[in-house]
Amino acid sequence: MAERLIEANNLGMRYPTGRLALQSASLAVSAGEFAVILGANGSGKSTMLRIIACITKPSDGHVLVGGQDITGLTGRRLANARMALGMVFQNANLVKRRSVIANVVCGTLGRHRNMMTSLGMLPAEEFPFGMRCLERVGLTKFAYQRASTLSGGQAQRASIARALAQRPKALLADEPIASLDPEASEEVMRLLRRLAKDEGMAVLAVLHQPELARRYADRLLGLRQGVIAFADAPDCITDGEIDSLYQGFAGT
Amino acid sequence: MNSETAIADTSGAKPAAPRYDGLRKAAIAVVLILVLVQAMYVVQARPQDLITGVHGMADIISRSLPPDFGGFSDQIWPALQTVDIAIFGTFFAIFLALPLAWLGAHNTTPSRVTYHLARSLIAICRAVPDLVWALLFVTAVGLGPFAGALALTVHSIGMLGRLLAEVIEDMDMGPMEALRSTGAGQLQVFSHAVVPSVLPSLMGIALYRLDDNIRSSLVLGFVGAGGIGFQLLSAMNLFDYPTVSLLLIMTFVIVIGAERMSAALRKRVA
Repeated sequence: MAERLIEANNLGMRYPTGRLALQSASLAVSAGEFAVILGANGSGKSTMLRIIACITKPSDGHVLVGGQDITGLTGRRLANARMALGMVFQNANLVKRRSVIANVVCGTLGRHRNMMTSLGMLPAEEFPFGMRCLERVGLTKFAYQRASTLSGGQAQRASIARALAQRPKALLADEPIASLDPEASEEVMRLLRRLAKDEGMAVLAVLHQPELARRYADRLLGLRQGVIAFADAPDCITDGEIDSLYQGFAGT
Repeated sequence: MNSETAIADTSGAKPAAPRYDGLRKAAIAVVLILVLVQAMYVVQARPQDLITGVHGMADIISRSLPPDFGGFSDQIWPALQTVDIAIFGTFFAIFLALPLAWLGAHNTTPSRVTYHLARSLIAICRAVPDLVWALLFVTAVGLGPFAGALALTVHSIGMLGRLLAEVIEDMDMGPMEALRSTGAGQLQVFSHAVVPSVLPSLMGIALYRLDDNIRSSLVLGFVGAGGIGFQLLSAMNLFDYPTVSLLLIMTFVIVIGAERMSAALRKRVA
């Protein structure tokens, strides 16, 4: 079995209001695997991703990245551990006035903390690597354009290139295609799958599109009211099981 | 009751006509007149004095003409001082206001304490008039343009800091969140996500402030901060009215020129 890059054990999350967002949820994503979390609004799927990304602290359980427990880490050690995780957001979140390549090279800032980069300079030695990241997402010819000139799908691919520039072992994507048209969505899903298959990354995405998830993912995790309802290969999961995630929500 | 009957219930009702409309308008007019009358009383407005005293003004104007264009070369240096006081003040105010605005914007400030500290500092800079700052700095660095430049720097921080903090509060938080997630430090997030995003607004506000500062810089000369204002004060004290009129013409040209240039540049960066 391939190396387990992301491991979450018995995650629990109780908000101060008393609402239980997540209950003993566990998952593991290995190198070269593309896993997708599905679930209705409020099912806890974003909470789970935010805990794994160390943006939120869980009330219970542990997150292991590359075998290291990162739940208790703080400050600089947490920042270093997080570098292994690349984040992709719903919106590309590029700095629109800068060039595409500048945005990508920004992904390397974490490993170049010094006076010059703090004053707004980019590490010049990272530009060739930034170009290679752009090549991996197929945007080389847009490198010197302003980020504001990219289409929605291109911008999201550029943001993936920025996450790659961080040199992560795993990618976490929070509804990466929610604001894209169908064609761009397919493009981004293909890219995420290729990164898992060809480059051996662990990719974990939260999605709202069951049919896309079914076609591209290696494994589907269904969350229902904070509890993992199923976790299996797409072929082993029936449409009825997926529909059950959204029942009680469809009519509202 | 379902929504259909709700629609039927209100279909017969007419919109309520505002009844006291005329009365309200009359009341507003009375209040406005009262405010105006008390203002005229307090400023001791006596229009007859203006009419009887008009020959005094005519006398001064006749003594001011023609302007002393021969003294123009002596006034170039003070004119340059006036403009440079404003440039210095605006430039350094931007540098100091930007970090203050970052601390004083509720979405980027590290803690509530820094937020209130930064906001208070910005408020003090703005609340104290630039003339008072100039008097303060004259006591520190002596008479001359440097005191004026420092006064404009501090006073401009007040205005620039507040406007920039508002720009930062309105900006898209996405790029900041994304950079933070790549492991970038606080300062890096500021210089790589915040600064490029607010740069066009920053340039616009700064150019507007430069235009303002050139006018302030003229006035600051009157309290000893050098430049054209100081020349104007001296010439008036010496009853040298041809020089006064020359200086007023130069002032006019500088102010209009700065205004036009600032407007043209602002259009470009927008």
